[in-house]
Order: sequence, then structure tokens, then C-alpha cells
Amino acid sequence: MDNLDNTLKSSIKDEIDDVSKYNKTKAETDTTEDGISPSIKAEIERNFDSEIKIENPKLSIQSLKAWFSGKLALKGINLDVKENCVTALIGPSGCGKTTLLRCINRMHDLTPNATADGKIILDDLNIYDKQSDPVLIKRRMGMVFQKPNPFPTMSIYDNVAAGLKLNGIKDKNLIKDIVHDSLKGAALWEEVKNDLDKPGISLSGGQQQRLCIARALAMQPEILLMDEPTSALDPIASSKIEELMNDLKKNLTVIIVTHNMQQAARVSDYTAFMYLGELIEFGPTDQIFKYPKKELTERYISGKFG
Amino acid sequence: MVRLLDLGLTKVSSIIFDMASLAENTVSKAIKSYMEDDTSTKNQIFESSAKLRFLQDEVSELCIELIARFQPVATDLRYIKSCMELSYVFSRFGRYAYDIITVLEILGPLELCDKSSVMRMSKLVLEMMDLGISALRLRDNSILAKIYEMEEMVDLLYRKSTRESSQIVIANNYSDNRCNISTALILKYLERICDHACYIADSVNYIETGMASPRR
Repeated sequence: MDNLDNTLKSSIKDEIDDVSKYNKTKAETDTTEDGISPSIKAEIERNFDSEIKIENPKLSIQSLKAWFSGKLALKGINLDVKENCVTALIGPSGCGKTTLLRCINRMHDLTPNATADGKIILDDLNIYDKQSDPVLIKRRMGMVFQKPNPFPTMSIYDNVAAGLKLNGIKDKNLIKDIVHDSLKGAALWEEVKNDLDKPGISLSGGQQQRLCIARALAMQPEILLMDEPTSALDPIASSKIEELMNDLKKNLTVIIVTHNMQQAARVSDYTAFMYLGELIEFGPTDQIFKYPKKELTERYISGKFG
Repeated sequence: MVRLLDLGLTKVSSIIFDMASLAENTVSKAIKSYMEDDTSTKNQIFESSAKLRFLQDEVSELCIELIARFQPVATDLRYIKSCMELSYVFSRFGRYAYDIITVLEILGPLELCDKSSVMRMSKLVLEMMDLGISALRLRDNSILAKIYEMEEMVDLLYRKSTRESSQIVIANNYSDNRCNISTALILKYLERICDHACYIADSVNYIETGMASPRR
């Protein structure tokens, strides 16, 4: 290849150098092996940190192990959940997503022969501390399940008010206000405001699920746990729940288990991929779905195994 | 079991590599025609350019369909995005080839002109195209640094040749405005082809690493 410098007239070369000096800084003109300037490369790499650090997490899961009849189902999970964000748990069936969710609100304890070890710190409280009261913990965390499960014999109003009454609230006006706010919060008020006395099970599947969300919201939880909340719903009802999640996160922290990759990509801010009881990768959803760090994550979200 | 998405990706890949071969041949043919002062290839080059444009639309449609039907993620998504960009790049190659032959048609014959600067730059540019397409075919990041290095060389050569052709008149040599104009235009087209060859390298890098290259 020609040595171009030798062939350039000095005046022209000087002029080119002169122009270049103004066009680019030194950091920009230096390039690495792949031809990308170090300053820009550093910028890019900063955006791809594999070890994501959540500052002041609402919930911090530390070395969590869980067993069913002596069989290890969760193998030391470490995961921080950011406040006022939606965190999605994804992974194939049996990977431990629901177990993790049930450990978070201590429902795992209720399963016969099920045990757990490790720490789950909610704000400053270790919910697995012997001093911790599981009832109080559950009160701080609402849960919505796969299938809508309104109390079948109760009206729409009573479904939402049930938790309040069970907790000893007797002020009818207060209950009325909370029911109203909860149904509004669950984007159901406009659809049921004239039918509050009708049975909860008279609603459509999507409405029933939002009723269950309203029931959870009535207890004013700090965290909402959602276990495949739209898997039994049609696309329109599902999209309403997804829109709702986006609204709910303004006031609380949402953790959702989903098998629907697109749903996780749409609704969540952070995604955790689990496989065989281990947390394989955790990061901002955008990163997980566009540039996963781990081959296993890539293969799962791309549908190359399931 | 083959994923349905893979069937679509295979089809897109096949069109992309057809476009790559056609684009390379078209640019080579245009440069050769310019060197040999041969305008008889104009129709072929025009047809190839039109075909590349048509294939670009086809790739675009297919990619949109794959996104709509399969909601691809990760490498699949990056590959599809890159294919849309690559199809544009190959379509541009066709257009620049057509521009080159058009210059010859409008300003030619140019057999007495000094074509050495175009000759020199076209060798580099054709090699860059070839390297870019090889990197894409092999998904080989190691070639990319060479392409970027060559781009700097082409840029320098472009500036040098343009300045020289506008400033330096060598006594007793054949001089004709048509030579200077055609040289300047063709050097510009080659410089653009060079940039687009770098876009191929950028795409390979993006597919493999997920990192977007800085805009040039």
C-alpha cells in the first residue's frame, strides 16, 4: 500500500492535519483494535455492566435456599429488587420462579415439608428472622395468582373489603373509601361502580383478576407479587393488566412471574432469568432482551430451549 | 426441531448474501467500465441497481413480518435489525455503481484522462467491500479493524486527490475539465461506498457484541 504521507504536498498535508485538529479530539482519534475510540468504547461498556447494582433496594434476597421434602429447589439466590419498578422473573417451568415468589411473602412456609434458608431483607427487616411475624409480612405484600380467585360467595364490594374487615377495621366510611380507591387503582371502578352488590364471580375473567388486584391493593401493600397474572386471560384483558402494572409501580414495587417473554419485555424494568433453581442473569430488561450476557439466557429468551 | 423464526432468518440471510454478491459485481463492473471507457454496460448496471433496490424492499418486508410474527430478541433481533441496514447498504452500492457509469456516459469519452487516483482508491474500496462481506459471512470480528483502518486510508486519499485535482495543473499533461469533474465525482462515490463498507463492519460488530459503533 502507498505511503500516502510521502506523496502529499506538505502544504496540503499540513492543511489536512490542521483541519483534523479541529474536527476531532485526541480521545476520538485514538482507536482500539476494533477501530472504536476508547472514550466511546468505555461509554458503551459502561452500559453493559453484567453485575448490576441496585442502590437502596426495596427487597434484597441474599443466599436464599429453599427445599421441598429435602430436595433443593432454590440454590442460593441473590437478587435486589428496586423500589417502584416492575421486576420480572422468567425461566422454564420448574426453575423456581414461583417458589422464589412464595418465599418472598413466606407462603413457602405453609407448604408441608418445605423449608427455606437465607435472608430476605424488606427495607431493614429480615423477613426470615425468627422475630418476624409472617402475618405482618404478608400484610405488606399483596399477591395475585394465575387464576382469578375472588371469594365466590361475596359481592364485588365485599371481596375488596374482606381483608380490611378481617384486620378489624370497622369504620364503614373508611372501608367505603378504600374500596373505591382500590377499585380505581385496579382500573375497575368505572366498570363496576353500579354493580358493587353483584357477586365477584359474575365478572369476566379479566375483571375478576383486576378485582383480585383491587383486593390486594385494599391492604395498601408495599410490594405486589404477581404469579402469571394474565396466563388465563385473553389478550385484551391481559393488556389491561399490563397497563395497570405500569400505573401501580408509581406507588408500589411489583414482582411478576411470567412465561410470556414479550410480556416481560413490555412491562418490566428489570428481568431475572432463572434456570434449575439458580439465578442465571439479572439486569435491566432492555439489556436482557437485546444483549443478554449469558449464552443460556440468550437461548431461553430466543426460544432455543424451554 | 427447527424454530419457525429460523426458517425466516434463513430466507433473509439468503437474500442478503445474494445482494452482497450482486452489489460487489455491480460496483466492480462500473469501475471496470470507467477504466475501459466502456458505456455498453450501463443497462446491466442499471438493472442490477434496480434489482438491489427491489431486494432491499423485500428484505425490509420480511424483517417486519418476522418481528411482527415472532417478536425476536437478543441475537435474532440484532441480526434482523442489521439485515435491514445491510440491505440498504447493498442497495446504495448499486446506486453508486449506476452513478459511476452515468458519469462516464455524460462526460465521456475519458480515455485520455489520468485515472490513477480512481484506480488506487477503487482497489481499496473493492477490498473493503470484500472484507466486509466476508466478515458478515463468517461472523468474524477480527477482520473489522482492517476495514476501519482502510477507511482512514480512503478518506485521506480522497482529500488528497480532490485537492490535487483542483489545485495542481501539471504542464504539458493532458488537461480537460471533464477529467477533473469525472474524477471528483467518482472519487466521491467511492468514498461513499467506503463508508457503507464500514457500515457492514458496524453491523457485524453489532450482531456479535450488541455494541453500536459510533456514527461516522
